[in-house]
Amino acid sequence: MNEITQQLGTNLDYVVMLGYFGAVVAFGLYFGRYTHSTKDFFFGGQRFAWWLIAFSGIATTVGSYSFVKYSDVGFKYGLSSTQSYLNDWFWMPILMLVWLPIIYYARVTSVPEYFERRFGRGSRVAATLIVLTYLMAYIGVNLFTLGQVFETLLGWPVMVGALVTAIAVTVYVVAGGQTSVIMTDLAQGIILLVVGLGLLFAGIYHFGGFGDFWALLPQTHKYVFSDLTEPPKFSALGIYMQDGVINTGAFVLINQGMIMRFLSLKSVKDAQKMAACWILVLAPLAAIATAGGGWIGKALVIEGSLDTSSKQAFIRTAHFLCAPGIFGFVLAALTAALMSTADTLINAVSAIIVNDIWKPFVQPKATDKHLLGVARITSVVAAGIGLAFVVVYVKAYDSIYQAHAMVTASIPAPMVVAVLLGIFWKRFTPVACFVTLVGGSIAMGLSFVPAFADTLIGPFSFGMGPDSYKFMRALYGLVVCGVLGIVVSLFTKPKQTAELVGLVTGTEMEAMRRYKGGDVNRRAGKKARATLVVDAAMSARDNDIERFAIVSRPALDAMAAEPGDLLYICDTRWWFGGLRSVHVKAAECGEEGRVVISPGALEVAHLKDGQEVMIEKIM
Amino acid sequence: MNMARVWPVVLQYGGGAFLCAVGVWFGIRSGFLDLKTSDGKRLLALIVGGYLAMLIFSCIFTFWLPFVPRGATQ
Repeated sequence: MNEITQQLGTNLDYVVMLGYFGAVVAFGLYFGRYTHSTKDFFFGGQRFAWWLIAFSGIATTVGSYSFVKYSDVGFKYGLSSTQSYLNDWFWMPILMLVWLPIIYYARVTSVPEYFERRFGRGSRVAATLIVLTYLMAYIGVNLFTLGQVFETLLGWPVMVGALVTAIAVTVYVVAGGQTSVIMTDLAQGIILLVVGLGLLFAGIYHFGGFGDFWALLPQTHKYVFSDLTEPPKFSALGIYMQDGVINTGAFVLINQGMIMRFLSLKSVKDAQKMAACWILVLAPLAAIATAGGGWIGKALVIEGSLDTSSKQAFIRTAHFLCAPGIFGFVLAALTAALMSTADTLINAVSAIIVNDIWKPFVQPKATDKHLLGVARITSVVAAGIGLAFVVVYVKAYDSIYQAHAMVTASIPAPMVVAVLLGIFWKRFTPVACFVTLVGGSIAMGLSFVPAFADTLIGPFSFGMGPDSYKFMRALYGLVVCGVLGIVVSLFTKPKQTAELVGLVTGTEMEAMRRYKGGDVNRRAGKKARATLVVDAAMSARDNDIERFAIVSRPALDAMAAEPGDLLYICDTRWWFGGLRSVHVKAAECGEEGRVVISPGALEVAHLKDGQEVMIEKIM
Repeated sequence: MNMARVWPVVLQYGGGAFLCAVGVWFGIRSGFLDLKTSDGKRLLALIVGGYLAMLIFSCIFTFWLPFVPRGATQ
C-alpha cells in the first residue's frame, strides 16, 4: 500500500480525512462530561443499550489491518475470506449463558482479576503480565500502522504520524474513558460499514449487476470454504482451528477491551442482545465490508480494468471506483479502523494497570477519586509505551514485528484453555492454572523456533506441511495446554466448592442473588413511564453501591417488580442509548405517575428533575 | 458429490454444534437458561436459529451459488 498511496487521492481527499480525524477527537472530548468515577471511566457507568455497544464493538474488531488484510485474502482466495467470521456464532451459547453471567454478576473488572478470585494471586500475576504485554505491543502496532498511513499520504515521518495519532486518541480517552471510546467507536463503526459496503455496491454497479460481477469471479473464489486441507496456507481446517477455536475463543473470553464493552451494558440481557446482533448481523457485514474490495478488485483485474497486486487491492479498487472527495471517506475509514482499535486498547491497558497492579499491590485503600486520577495518567503511560514500541518497530521492523507476531500468537491458547477449564471444571486447580499459563506460553514460544517446529507442530498439521504451521499451531497449543491443565490438576489440590460460587458454571443463580442482594425476580414485565422527582431526603438511603427510588404500585405491577428489585431509569428518547440513565433499587411504593430519586442518583443519571423517564426492571 | 467441499461444512458445523451444545447444556443445568420462561425459549430459538442461518448460508455458497452463473450471464 505504501508506495502507491502518495500517487492516489487529491487535496480534497486529504482535507476530508483530516476533517474526519478532528471531528472524531472533538466528538470524544464532548463525552468527557459523563465521566466522574472509575466505573464511568472503565465501564461507561454500566448503563448502555445493546445496539450502541454492538455498533461500537464492530469498530473495535475491525482493526488496523482489516481492510488491507481481508481484501488481500479476498483477492487471493475469494469468499472463503469470510470463514473467520462464520465461526463466531458457535461461541455465543458459552458467552451468553456461562461466561457473561459469571463476569457480570461476580463484578469482575478484568481477566486477571477473575484468575485471582478463581485460582489465586500467582495466576493473577501471570495473567496480568501476559495480557499487558499483549495489549501494549498491540497499541504499538496500531500506532505504527497509522504512522505508516500518514507517511505515505502526507509525507510525515512514521514517528510523527504515530505521535499525532497517539495524542489525539489519548486526549479523548483521558477525558471520557470508556464513554468517549464507545461514542467515537459508534460513529467509526458506521463509517466503516458504509464505506466498505458502499465500495462493494459501487463495484457491482460498475459491472452492471450482481450476475455480471459473479460471472467474472473465478470458480474457486465462489466458495465460502477452501478445501479441507488445501491450500496449506489457507485450508478450511487451518482457519477453523486458528480462527474458529482459538482466536474467537480468545475474543469472547479474554479480550479485555471486549469484556469492558460487555460490562458497559445495562444488563446481561442487553449483553445477550448485543452479542446476537453483533455476531449474526454486524460481524458478517463487517466481513463483507472489509473483504469486498478484494473481491471487486479481482473481478476488475479479470475484466482488464485494473492492474493491482493482492496487497494493494483495497486501496487501488477504492481509488478506481471513487470520485475525488469520496476517496477521502475511504481514507477516513482506514483512519477510523486504526483509531477505534487503539482507543479501546489504551482504555483496556489502563484498566489492567489500575485494577490488577495499582489497587491490589500499590494502594489497596485508595479512594475512587485517586484511582480515577491514576486511570487517566496510566492512559497516557499506555500510549507512551505504545509509542516506544513504534520507535523499536521503525528501527528493526522485520525482526521486532516477527517477535510481536510470535508473542501475540503464543498468548491466546494458554489463556483460553485456562478460562475454559476454570469455568467448566471445578477440579481444575490453582497450580494447574499457573502451569497452563506459564508452561503453555513457553511451549507455544518454542514452536516458533525453526529447529522445533517440525517436531512440535508437524504431528498436528494433518500432513499439510510447514505452510500450515501458522494455523495448525492453534491445535498444538490447545492439546498441549489442555493436557498440562488436566494432568497437573489430577495431582494437585483443588479449591473448596464454597470458594468457587459465582466463578464456575452451575453457580450463576447464586451469583445473581449476591449481585442483587436478595432473591432474583425473573417474572416477565413491561416498561413503565413516570415523571422524575428529586427528593434530598432520599440521600440518606443511598451509598456508593446502591441507590434507591420510590416507584408507584401500578408501575411496579406493570414491570412485575417488587420493592427490593433492581430497576433501570433512563431517558425516554431511545437514541441516547442509555447515556442518561441510572440503576436503582425499588423502595416502597409511592405516588402514581412519579418516580422519586436522590440528588446523587440524578447527578449520575444526567437526567432532569421533572422530566418523563422510562423505568425497566432488571431483576 | 465432491467430498472436498462437504468436509469443511461437516467440520465447521459439527464442531460448532458441539460448542453450542456445551453452552446450552451448562446454561440449562445452572438454571440460568430457564426454558419455562418466554425469555428462555426465545434465547434458545435465537441460538438454534443463528446456527441454522449460518449453516444455510454456508450451504448456499458451497453447493448452489458457485454453479449458478455458469452459462447464464456470460
